[in-house]
Formats: sequence, C-alpha cells, structure tokens
Amino acid sequence: MRGSDVKNLFENAAKVLVHLMVKGESLKETLPRKISVSGEDLADLMVQWLGEILYLFEGEKEVVTSLHIESLMPSALKAWVNTVPFDPEIHEILSEIKAVTYHQIDVAPKRDYWEAKVIFDI
Amino acid sequence: MDIKLEKIDDYRWRIPKTGTMRVPGVIFSDEHLAKELKRDESLVQVANVATLPGIVKHSLAMPDIHWGYGFPIGGVAAFDIDEGIVSPGGVGYDINCGCRLMGTALKADEIRPVMRDLVSVLFKNIPTGVGSRGSISLSKKDEARVAFEGAAWVVKKGFGQPEDLLRTEDLGTLEGADPTVLSDRAIQRGLDQLGTLGSGNHFLEVQVVDQIFDQRLAQAFHLFEGQITVLIHSGSRGFGHQICDDFLKEMGKQVSALRIELPDRQLACARLKSDLGRRYLAAMACAANYAWANRQVLMHLTRETFQEALSISPRDLKMNLLYDVCHNIAKKELHEVDGQERMLCVHRKGATRSLPPGHPNVPEIYHDAGQPVLIPGDMGTHSYVLAGAKGALDKSFGSSCHGAGRLLSRTQAVKKAKGRAINRELEDKGI
Repeated sequence: MRGSDVKNLFENAAKVLVHLMVKGESLKETLPRKISVSGEDLADLMVQWLGEILYLFEGEKEVVTSLHIESLMPSALKAWVNTVPFDPEIHEILSEIKAVTYHQIDVAPKRDYWEAKVIFDI
Repeated sequence: MDIKLEKIDDYRWRIPKTGTMRVPGVIFSDEHLAKELKRDESLVQVANVATLPGIVKHSLAMPDIHWGYGFPIGGVAAFDIDEGIVSPGGVGYDINCGCRLMGTALKADEIRPVMRDLVSVLFKNIPTGVGSRGSISLSKKDEARVAFEGAAWVVKKGFGQPEDLLRTEDLGTLEGADPTVLSDRAIQRGLDQLGTLGSGNHFLEVQVVDQIFDQRLAQAFHLFEGQITVLIHSGSRGFGHQICDDFLKEMGKQVSALRIELPDRQLACARLKSDLGRRYLAAMACAANYAWANRQVLMHLTRETFQEALSISPRDLKMNLLYDVCHNIAKKELHEVDGQERMLCVHRKGATRSLPPGHPNVPEIYHDAGQPVLIPGDMGTHSYVLAGAKGALDKSFGSSCHGAGRLLSRTQAVKKAKGRAINRELEDKGI
C-alpha cells in the first residue's frame, strides 16, 4: 500500500482493508465516528488503526464509506470515519479477515512516497 | 537468516542451539520435506520460539510445519510453569480451532444417489462462508455461559447428547475460563457466530472410509470400510480472533517487563505467573469453550440435516461422535522431563494432542486404543484417523501433526489453480 505522505498512506491502508472485506454502496445516511488510537511506533499504530476499521465491520457490522485522518504522530492517530450499517441486500462480503498481524509489517518512507506492507490473517 | 539442520534420525532434524536460543529446535520431517522447509521462514520461527523464557527441552515442529505468524504452524513448545511464558501467538488467532469426526451406520453406496441433494441441504442448514451468522443468537448472559461451560452448555440446551461430551477433549470444557476478563469487543463478536463453520480452510466434509490399516484400532473407533463419516473443522470464530488480538496488543506493550528482546512482535508474551498471563489463559479458555460449543452445535445441525435429507431416524443413522480434538491451544499439563514430573504450559499451534493408551486424559472407551488423532487432508485427498502412541509423550509432549501442511502460499495456490476446473476434477474422482 502506498501514499503520497504518511497520513495519506494510513488513509489508503484503511481503504484497502475495506475493499478487501466488502463491496456495495448503500444510500443510507452515514454515521460519523471519531477514532483515536495510540501505538508504540508507526508499525504498531498501523496495526491498531486497521484493527479499528476491522472491528467496526466484524463487531459493529458497520461499513466504512469514507474517512479522514485529522492528525497523525508516530505514536497517535485521530481520524473521522463515516459508516453505514451493513446491509446484506446491498453489501457483499468478499473475505473474512481474522486479524491485522504484526508479521513482517513494514511502514517506511521511500524516495517520494510512503509504503506499508501489512499481512492480514484470513 | 541461514538455519543449519542436523539429522538426528530418518524423521527428526535438529536446529542446534545458537545465539539467544535457550534450547535447540527439533523438526519431525523426512528428508524430502526437510529440503522444502528451507524455502520459507518457518525454521527461523522454530529458532525464534527457542529464545522465549522458560522453554523446556526443545522448540518443536510437526511434519506439517509451515510459515505462521510468530510461531510456525505445526509448532509445539512447552514452558515451565514458574519461569515460563504464555504467548497468544503460540496459540493462534483461531483459539481451539479443531476437528470433530463423526461415524455413521451408512455405507457410501447407500448415499451416492442422493449425495447432491444431501450437499444442498447441508449448505442450507449449516451457516458457512464469509460473514456467516449463526442460527443461535446469544444474549450476553448466555454467551458468558458458553464461555464458561463450553460444549456442556449447548448439550443442556438440546444440541446433542451428554455422551458426546465423553468423546470430546477435556469433555468440551476447559477449566479456568473467566468471562469477566473479556473485552466488550470479544463479547460483541461472539454474539451471533455460534453454530457457524466460517470461511478460510474451515469445512464440513462427508467422507468414506477407504482403507483400514489397523483392524484393532478401527474396531475400537467403530470404523469400517465403505462407511460414511463426517469431519468438521472449525474454531472459535470472531470471538477467539478478538481475544488473541486484545492480548497481543496488551502483551506487546508490557513485553519490556520480561527484559528480553523479542525477535518478532507476533511473539509477544507474558509470564505465566503474571496477572496478564493469568488473564490471557482465562480468556483463552473462554474461547476454547466457545469453539467446543460451536463444533457441538455444528454436529447437531449435521445430524438433523442427514435425518431430513435421507428421511432416516437417528437410530438408523447412528451419527456418533468419534472424537473432537483441538489443534490451537496452550494447556497446563504434567510431563516427565529428565526423569522428573513437571507442570508445563504446552503450546500447540497447528498441532494435535496425541495421548497413548491408558493415559488418564484418554476417554475410557479408548483406554486400550489411545486417543484418536484426526488429520484432515487437502480437498480431494485422504484424511487419516490415527491413535496416540507412547513415544509421543517423550518425543513431542504428546503432540502430532494437524493437517496436510502447506507447500504453497494461498496466493501461489490460487495462481497455480487458475484455469483448472477443480469442481470437475473432483467430480471425476467421485467427490
């Protein structure tokens, strides 16, 4: 996963996770939710952040439709996400992801972009 | 990292103790598989596990070893109860993922003509695949009972018979479960998944006994050639995944208390005697119990489905549980180490418990045969029913392999299978 900067990378990573899990667009009104996570470093922060997105779907049955990272430091992240309730008539579940793992995780700047490698347990 | 393998005998290989390893690694494998192992990082993972505090004797890997997260799949490691650790990564995300085999009085020839209909009804009645939700919706109070009592609770609710529990590892209830240590998230994820197979490599397979290798054991397990059996492979679903996730996070933050450098974050752990270690074991036991309850419900649904699809009575179907055994767990067990009995916490991650005849934890009905060890094969290949043997206690802390292993990653397998009509290939083989 790549992003123009670290904030964009975290946003894209969350979008990738959502795209792996579910497809379909609901016209229902979205519900805004504030997410705050902390981590030991950027890699840990990525696992915690994606873990929140995963839980919203697996635990709360909410599908993230859009998101915006408000602030990001190596040890903390604040974001707004908009969600709609999962609706089996509209949404199709693509894969059941058990967890976001630390296995071989890598979050690092490249020459002119940021890149992350994250392995999901399916 | 280059890992050196020394041959111990035809089926065992040693990774010598080097660097920060506290014990050597031992891998059960033949020469052919041993060469394959060097293609991925699983041997490094065996060596990494050997660096953890309190590990006893050796870091083991069963013949189906492959690359996992932190611990290798097929990994077995025992830790001293006083000095050792417990690691959620040594159990896996799917706590008490396991197998349940049922025999029947049916013969393959009898059901072949109705097989398609039977499979359709099985798909209709047994929630499976991504996002499957259970036919039982639990209240939070009932979920706590499931977490505490395991399979015994669902049997009380009418899902099966009390005799089923006698043929389930630990009678379907792991001691020490404490639902009060669970996070709200774990509870939330467990509410609607009881009685679901799930996705990934989980399955329900209608099988035929193809060949008997040991008539005495087959008789003890009530297996005969041509017999229809059903094998279920499933675990603790989102409930267990969340518990693993919760404790990996907490242990990752507190790992500095152990004063060791972890070679892999996924190996986060806590002392068995610490508050965190105790809480993980109590939560893990909840998930283990949920999984046994889950497979019990799945078996009940399968019995009902066979009866409905074949218009047959329970008496004529005789779908009896042969055994239910888990392969992702950490358990406190007594083992003899260097001539002394010691209480150890044995982690089995993708490894099946394998106890010899006469062991106190083997069900009375299998006292002379040994504990049934269930080894499912790949789709379209054979599965095996084995019995625990005496040597396993000394060589592998009473453990065996849990499946077919993996030579290709899932992505590689999908790529290789592209263009193949797998359904047709299986049909041609009569599957």
